[in-house]
Amino acid sequence: MTDTVVQSEIEQVEQDVVDFKMVTFSLGGKDYGIDIMRVKEIAKFIEFTYVPNTAHYVRGVYNLRGDIISVVDLRAFFNIPAEKTEEGRPDNGLILRFESNLLGVIVDSIDKVVGISSKRVQPPHPIFGDINIKYISGVADYDGNLYIILDVDRIFRRDDESGKGPDTMARRRVERAEVTASDVPVTQREQTDGSDGIEGSVEETALTFIADGVQTFSDFYLTSINHRWFTGRVKEWLNRRLEQGKEYQLQEKADADAFLSPFLSRFTGTLWRDQYAEQFGRNLPATESTMYNVWNPGCGSGQESYSIAAILKRRFPNRQIKIWAGDKDLLPISSAPNLVFHEAEIPDGWEDFMVKGKNGLTFHSEIKEMILFEFSDILSVSALPKMDIIVARDILSFQRKEDQERIIERFDEVLKPGGILVVGDNEEISDSKTWKPVEAHPVKMYIHR
Amino acid sequence: MRVEYINPFVESAYSILSEVLQTEVHRGELYLKSAAMPMLGVAAIVGLAGDVEGRVLFDMKLETAIAVASGMLTNMDMEPVTTFNDMARATITELANMITGQAVTKLHNLGFKFDLTPPAIFKGDNMEISDPDFEALIVPMEIPMGKIEVNVAIRERA
Amino acid sequence: MKTKQDFPNINERPAAGQRSDGTPYRVLVVDDSMFVTKQIGQILTSEGFEIAGTAADGQEGIDKYKELYPNVDLVTMDITMPKLDGVSALETIMKFDKNARVVMISALGKQDLVKKSLLLGAKNYIVKPLDRAKVLERIISSLA
Repeated sequence: MTDTVVQSEIEQVEQDVVDFKMVTFSLGGKDYGIDIMRVKEIAKFIEFTYVPNTAHYVRGVYNLRGDIISVVDLRAFFNIPAEKTEEGRPDNGLILRFESNLLGVIVDSIDKVVGISSKRVQPPHPIFGDINIKYISGVADYDGNLYIILDVDRIFRRDDESGKGPDTMARRRVERAEVTASDVPVTQREQTDGSDGIEGSVEETALTFIADGVQTFSDFYLTSINHRWFTGRVKEWLNRRLEQGKEYQLQEKADADAFLSPFLSRFTGTLWRDQYAEQFGRNLPATESTMYNVWNPGCGSGQESYSIAAILKRRFPNRQIKIWAGDKDLLPISSAPNLVFHEAEIPDGWEDFMVKGKNGLTFHSEIKEMILFEFSDILSVSALPKMDIIVARDILSFQRKEDQERIIERFDEVLKPGGILVVGDNEEISDSKTWKPVEAHPVKMYIHR
Repeated sequence: MRVEYINPFVESAYSILSEVLQTEVHRGELYLKSAAMPMLGVAAIVGLAGDVEGRVLFDMKLETAIAVASGMLTNMDMEPVTTFNDMARATITELANMITGQAVTKLHNLGFKFDLTPPAIFKGDNMEISDPDFEALIVPMEIPMGKIEVNVAIRERA
Repeated sequence: MKTKQDFPNINERPAAGQRSDGTPYRVLVVDDSMFVTKQIGQILTSEGFEIAGTAADGQEGIDKYKELYPNVDLVTMDITMPKLDGVSALETIMKFDKNARVVMISALGKQDLVKKSLLLGAKNYIVKPLDRAKVLERIISSLA
């Protein structure tokens, strides 16, 4: 009898050694705790800046004495119903710290700092939480209350670290595939729900900030057309910047341009060659008519248009080919009709299309006459005849979302059935009912049904 | 608008305005406009025909029109005008005619055959011009009397 | 010693617009622009020419020429005019009077128009904008 009494007394003493402190708070009527080492400060969030296109649990961003931090509503994240805060009344929350990042979280109310012995923390059992068990590091009772201790690291960990669960990655892959394969209108974006983990929210916040940055500085608009490339690039970018010890934010145009530099299609600004030119030529629609019409919006300084002309001339030497090439950037398009080349720039087999002048080589008038270079905006509605081919590389991504849709509709109207649409290497059209992908790698080609 | 057409209009606007007004002329950034465009108050329109169809419009505020007309008249040792009377109208019309004429001549020498129609003058408040199927190139010309927008909409005959 | 009378008096130089007998050359100005008509009128009258009449379109120009004939020495003809253009009017006037002196004045300097006009019998061609010296020089040479 004496042994057990002594034993329980010893246990009591052990349990009283405080080696774990947590900040406690309530969420949906239940008590939670977060390791104080992870809490930078307690906060009352007064004014947020709402950030569009983020998950429902991301409330926005907040200016914490100069640092811009994102703020997540834990109630929304865990899908716990919460009372709406009155207008003007601040939300209660914590500023959490992990690695070099800060994150704000909103809770119902902050309680107090509680010190317990880590031995008191028991492993989580699903019965204890309304929330996904992987975010619970344990439960502890204290002073008659049961506290669910959140594993902040797990919650905020990024994709590139080992902590990401295999099931979540699989889910992401499936969602992405669904978005691109289905008839998703351009405006819809990939949805992630809270159970995916806030480990996605850092990346998601980064994605939002970067998307805003490229839009502001470079007129690049993130939509389903470039989403796949964009998300891949964001991951790459975050890693690179982390390695360099730099912020991932795009502070100025140079950053945005650096981010976008791998986006542009191959042979932008130069004549097409090799596999690309070959595959383009091989997959051209064969028509019966003598007229062959091509629309080439966003032709820039014109090398693309000359390439199309040369390839078509080779393939259809006896057809009457006409190319409507336009761009709304005046400087490059105005030099297009008189573009001069150096011998080394001319792909093999095109030498006989060239004429020597005093400044260098230019295309023979036979080729030049095929192309109508126009200073024009793709958005203006002007009468165009039906086209056999549309080459619109890297132009859709630089149009506003609504305009992208309108332009694709216009392509649908203007391109003959069976006609070919070529878009940028990193772009894709998700409407598979209208646009069937053509196996013409490296050319991004679709056939108009 | 076809690239080759741009320079002749830009050059002609500059050269004619400099000569008839004997003053500094600055060209603003070229840009494209489509759909409905509000007008500044006085507009002279010259039609284009031939291998292309379209028009050139010279748009300016009423006070600019009066000042420009007066400038042209005084440079010819003629009496300036104080209101937008028939002489002012005729003068602005002539300006439009000369700029378009010189541009068409240059284009002709480049191989583009078109002709112009006699100009028409419009004056009013809250006017708007809309060319639903046309995209217009705007060449803003800045002169001491104000701004003249040279608005060119040309389309190849289908 | 030379006296004042030996030097030619500038003020007595015969005006370009006057014949040696002092009578002015009579000019018909055909142009749809009031401004151009006034402008040419001003240049010519300052040099002693007389504006015999004006017309605002090609048809009126032809009619006026026939009316004034033979008391008309020269015609200035604009090309772009409503109703009947200047080249067509030139052709008709030349048919009417093979000795008619017509000087084309136009904003259009197109080669084909210039050639056509001269082939039809126009004595000269002036491209706008007009300046006093150019106008006088071409008109005077056409009267020779």
